[in-house]
Amino acid sequence: MKHLIKILTTVMLLSLVIVTPLAASGSSETGTGEDVVTIRFWGGVPPEAGPQASVDLFNEQFADQGIRVEYERFVNDDTGNLKLETNLLSGDGVDVYMTYTSDVMAKRAEGNMALDLTDLIARDGFDLTQYGGTLMESYYINGRPYCVPTKLDQYGIVLNKDMFDAAGIPVPTEWTFDEFREIAKQLTHGEGQDKVYGMFWNSQQDLTYVLQYLVAQTNGGDPMYKSETESAFDDPVVVAAVELINNMMNVDGSSPTHADSVTQKLSQEGVFLAGKSAMTIGPWMVRSIKDTDNYPHNFVTAFAPYPVYAEGQRNYTQGGYGDMLCINPKSEHIEEAWTFVKWYATEGMLPVVEGGRVPCFNTYDPQEVTDAFLKGGEELLDSETTKKILIEPADNYAAPSITNHSAEVKRVFTEEMETILLGEQTPVEGMAKAKERADAILQQ
Amino acid sequence: MRLSPHKARLLKSNLTGYAFILPNIIGVLLFTLLPMLYSLVISFTDWDYTRGFGNYNFIGLQNFIDMWSDEWFTDSLVNTIFFSVVVVPATIILALVIAVLIDRYCFAKLPIRLAMFMPYISNVVAVAIVWVMMYSPWGPFTQLVQSLGWENPPQWLGDPTWALPAIMLMTVWSNVGYAIMIYTSAIQGLPKDAYEAAEIDGANAFQQFRYLTINFLSPTTFFLVITTFITSFQVFAPIQIMTRGGPGSSSNVLVYYIYTSAFSFYKMGYASAMSWILFIILFAITMVQWHGQKKWVSY
Repeated sequence: MKHLIKILTTVMLLSLVIVTPLAASGSSETGTGEDVVTIRFWGGVPPEAGPQASVDLFNEQFADQGIRVEYERFVNDDTGNLKLETNLLSGDGVDVYMTYTSDVMAKRAEGNMALDLTDLIARDGFDLTQYGGTLMESYYINGRPYCVPTKLDQYGIVLNKDMFDAAGIPVPTEWTFDEFREIAKQLTHGEGQDKVYGMFWNSQQDLTYVLQYLVAQTNGGDPMYKSETESAFDDPVVVAAVELINNMMNVDGSSPTHADSVTQKLSQEGVFLAGKSAMTIGPWMVRSIKDTDNYPHNFVTAFAPYPVYAEGQRNYTQGGYGDMLCINPKSEHIEEAWTFVKWYATEGMLPVVEGGRVPCFNTYDPQEVTDAFLKGGEELLDSETTKKILIEPADNYAAPSITNHSAEVKRVFTEEMETILLGEQTPVEGMAKAKERADAILQQ
Repeated sequence: MRLSPHKARLLKSNLTGYAFILPNIIGVLLFTLLPMLYSLVISFTDWDYTRGFGNYNFIGLQNFIDMWSDEWFTDSLVNTIFFSVVVVPATIILALVIAVLIDRYCFAKLPIRLAMFMPYISNVVAVAIVWVMMYSPWGPFTQLVQSLGWENPPQWLGDPTWALPAIMLMTVWSNVGYAIMIYTSAIQGLPKDAYEAAEIDGANAFQQFRYLTINFLSPTTFFLVITTFITSFQVFAPIQIMTRGGPGSSSNVLVYYIYTSAFSFYKMGYASAMSWILFIILFAITMVQWHGQKKWVSY
């Protein structure tokens, strides 16, 4: 009996030892022959929101060329980006990846984490400006292209059209901070748990993009900076934007306060899609608008441009390029990675458009993009304002150019802004302090 | 040279011993000691993480000088000290009292101790998220406070004055079970005859506690003071999950700032320098306690 048990155990352990590597090698070989090159593509969007479909399409079209792309998602926050960068610095675990903001892009280009694409672009005549105009040049680092921007980041206020109709307010096409504040007040009603707010600022997620959207339209693409060594927190437009948010949260009560947003972990889905606010700040939740299983609602969502500081102060259209595709310079398959990058930028994005990402290359048919964007949400999205605000490109974007110490400067702004919104200091005081602190960092 | 049989045997058994601990030693060397030494080296540099490994300039003690004029550093250091100075005594006093009460006056000792211990072995992320809900305006904690007569309690985690104390309360709650467990095992080993003698001499329960239990348990208390001090100086997870150092910088603690400057600001050299300062502070505190124990710890 004892012997039998011993023999059985030994056999089981042995079989484990033998089978495990077989199984492992078996799984990695499925579908890849000897001469198939696998490109590992990292992005921050969940695979089911489009990237997987896009990658599948590529694999189908390029099967005969022996290229295969595998998509892996990293969460686009500090920790996720750190994971990506550790991978990039330590070797060739990633071939192609997405960068989402200009300041991070600059770091990666200067830190040899992104390939200088100058030669590849020249060789293939793939000059980026022919696809996206001179704005493309704003995404060069030190005058050289290190990435291919693929997405048009053109946003606006998201609004509940049913609530606007019921209040007899037409969907705005132009408005100032004051008019916006007034409309938000009109749309606010109810008390306690039944209260419907005019606006939701989504401030618990990030306080800096609020500034980005409200200020950039007047002051240009660097709303936080006056120059490389001076911050812009005492600028009248910045202070007015801070005052607008503060007044709506703490004076009018037309938006959930910052403390509420933080302590209740509010989200655009939980507030706007639940019908608890008439407007919200960021249309990147289009994906959730279409997802009526998780976020049941039946009102129509429309879009309006962000309000501006004062009449006649709309100098730029809020927007720019994003989803910057980069190639890892340590990759062993740069040629194949480049093939994928070109394909994705010029024709591969339609599946991700359905998830709410608009391509910035002029190689797409605008009607096709609009149709894909509305697909699955025809009843829930107002097609006219969707097209006008989110899809049709403008020719006067505010392009960012300064990234000096941006993480620290953002942190300073966020801290002072929080203190203002919690009523511990006035906007003017807080922004003066923010400027002093940020300037000290910038002049280091 | 030939070894005597005795020495040869000794050498052999020693080698066998080392062979057994070798995997562990390699692990410690590779993943703890070397990185520690490396962090000391880069604490004298201006290394920016994005510039790649090894791409840095030596700047002497600049990092160690700069940090004292960095408001984020000094504020977070003050917050950390405040946090530890409250959390450590609160945890230990509470644990001592509860452990004695359970031991003396409770039925169903084991389930109660287990219940007390649960928060300590629960995942800190889950605990923190539950407490975020507890502290929300409609959460049980806020309602409890309201029913006790405080009509307009603050938005705990959303209030600069209350965010850190709220996290401290949670930390005490989750750590107290561990201290109770340690105390309980010590209490069970206390000499019964001393208590009998005290009772015969007419000492009441409080006097027995005051003059016997506290003295008998002083080595345990000493152990707990040192370990809880070190862990509370290194508090990170609840801050990261519950407030991310906010509102403003009101709940920023040292380890959280080290994390921020390394992984948001990419200043690896500076972050390493702060880590070494943290180490020096902890080392100094522990040394002081070690010397101070002669005055109050009786074995």
